[in-house]
Amino acid sequence: MANKQIPKSQKCIAVLWPSFLVAIISTGLFFSAFDPQDLYPFGRETGVSRLGIYSIGFLCFWLVSTISGIGTLYFAITNCMARDRANPGN
Amino acid sequence: MAEANPRTAVSGGSADEQLARSLYAKAEKIYPREVHGLFARLRVLGVLGLLGIYYVTPWLRWDGQQALLLDLPARKFHIFFITLWPQDFIYLATLLIISGLTLFFVTALAGRVWCGYACPQTVWTEAFLWIERKVEGDRMRQQKLDAQSMNMRKFGIKATKHLLWGAFSAWTGFTFVGYFTPIIELGQRLVMFNLGPWETFWVIFYGFATYGNAGWMREQVCKYMCPYARFQSAMFDKDTLIVSYIETRGEPRGSRKRSADPKALGLGDCIDCTMCVQVCPTGIDIRNGLQYECIACSACIDACDDVMEKMGYEKGLIKYTTENVMEGRPTHIIRPRIVIYAVIMVGIIALFAWSFSTRIALGLDVIRDRNQLYRETDEGLIENVYTLKVLNMDAHAHRFRLQVAGIPGVKMYMDLPEIRVGSGEVLELPVRLRVDEAELKSRSTQISFNLVAEDDAKLSTTEAARFLGPR
Repeated sequence: MANKQIPKSQKCIAVLWPSFLVAIISTGLFFSAFDPQDLYPFGRETGVSRLGIYSIGFLCFWLVSTISGIGTLYFAITNCMARDRANPGN
Repeated sequence: MAEANPRTAVSGGSADEQLARSLYAKAEKIYPREVHGLFARLRVLGVLGLLGIYYVTPWLRWDGQQALLLDLPARKFHIFFITLWPQDFIYLATLLIISGLTLFFVTALAGRVWCGYACPQTVWTEAFLWIERKVEGDRMRQQKLDAQSMNMRKFGIKATKHLLWGAFSAWTGFTFVGYFTPIIELGQRLVMFNLGPWETFWVIFYGFATYGNAGWMREQVCKYMCPYARFQSAMFDKDTLIVSYIETRGEPRGSRKRSADPKALGLGDCIDCTMCVQVCPTGIDIRNGLQYECIACSACIDACDDVMEKMGYEKGLIKYTTENVMEGRPTHIIRPRIVIYAVIMVGIIALFAWSFSTRIALGLDVIRDRNQLYRETDEGLIENVYTLKVLNMDAHAHRFRLQVAGIPGVKMYMDLPEIRVGSGEVLELPVRLRVDEAELKSRSTQISFNLVAEDDAKLSTTEAARFLGPR
């Protein structure tokens, strides 16, 4: 299946949804181990509530795993396209 | 096929190609027809029960506080009389594993009952479909309305529906946040338009997710997003309960008059009324065999039984059955797969129950003074200094008694008159130990601190430490 045959909405879901689940797991694990109030990012106090740090942490995890998902999708699609070009009959 | 449904008719190609086509095709809106019957009643019961639990639970009180509060801001989980701490993470992880195993077990035994009756996606979709039917009318009216170009009446109906969906979603989002932050205070802040920025964010986020998933995405969540739907077939075997069309009885399908004798016409029992297709929330034709889209909601069973009754035929042309039964072989409920899942599940539940019941809601850390190994006092005794950290994870405050053992005649000195620790508090307790040098047999002697609550002998813990001396 090459690039154009997959609707954009499904590409978005394929990237955003698994990374969302991964972000939930990561946030749970990370903040079980670390109390936001013990964290001093770049040596500074954040001045943000715990709920705020959890939320920012979650969004950061989601962003990072989304980038990874985009990479996976990109390689999967370009590999398929290369294969289709090599075997145009299939 | 006289009246093939264009949505489900698949024109040729290998199974892989058909799957690919269905996966990558642009989704068309599905208008599931309302269905009545035994399984529909069961689902409504499930939906009402589960929605009730979801919306009511955060308002329950226990011992003067919210009964179920996963208090993220305070890093404490209150579950009725139990308070869990970040240290107890393992219990939550184990609970998740138990839930997963239970799902495997149930799937192997009864197929996708989770999908059809209990999955939040199904439950909220049912609620949204109900609102949609109340506002827009039945399947026919909905299709007619959607075919119209926009006019005042259509706009009014659509706006009402989305307003109701939106309100329901917002309430759902609010309830969700109420599981993580005290809901009564949250409600008061909401009424005063004084919600915190992150509370607002999560109410909107969760509300929007509900609106999108139950209002717009619906069966597409099951088809494209649900990991369980993709791997559940791994738990299936020929003895798993599935919703199936009895092909041998139904084929060749065809319409006929009620009075006609199907045998004389050379027809099976399927009258090809496509009711089973019209009621299907995922828009498949169960008569094409078991498909991964099928969430085993059994709407088609209800619909077909109804038709069979009207025709005066025997019910059960579409029914819960197993592959073995359809192939004329006996079904085994107890089989290696079931036994293995059950043994693992029961084992982990037992381990969990044992470890949780013996869990002690008391933490003790002993930290030796790092500045000096030991000190000789004026009386010629050897002194070591420690800082004890006492964490009371119990729901109540306690006074504790501290004892030390390991060296005969060891004397303990504390600066505090008593060891009193509130619920969920940590007390730092400096402690000095003095011993006669003659009692020390080596440079380092193992000792142990024992801490016990004065009013509860079971709330007790022992922590080892080292006593250093000149020898």
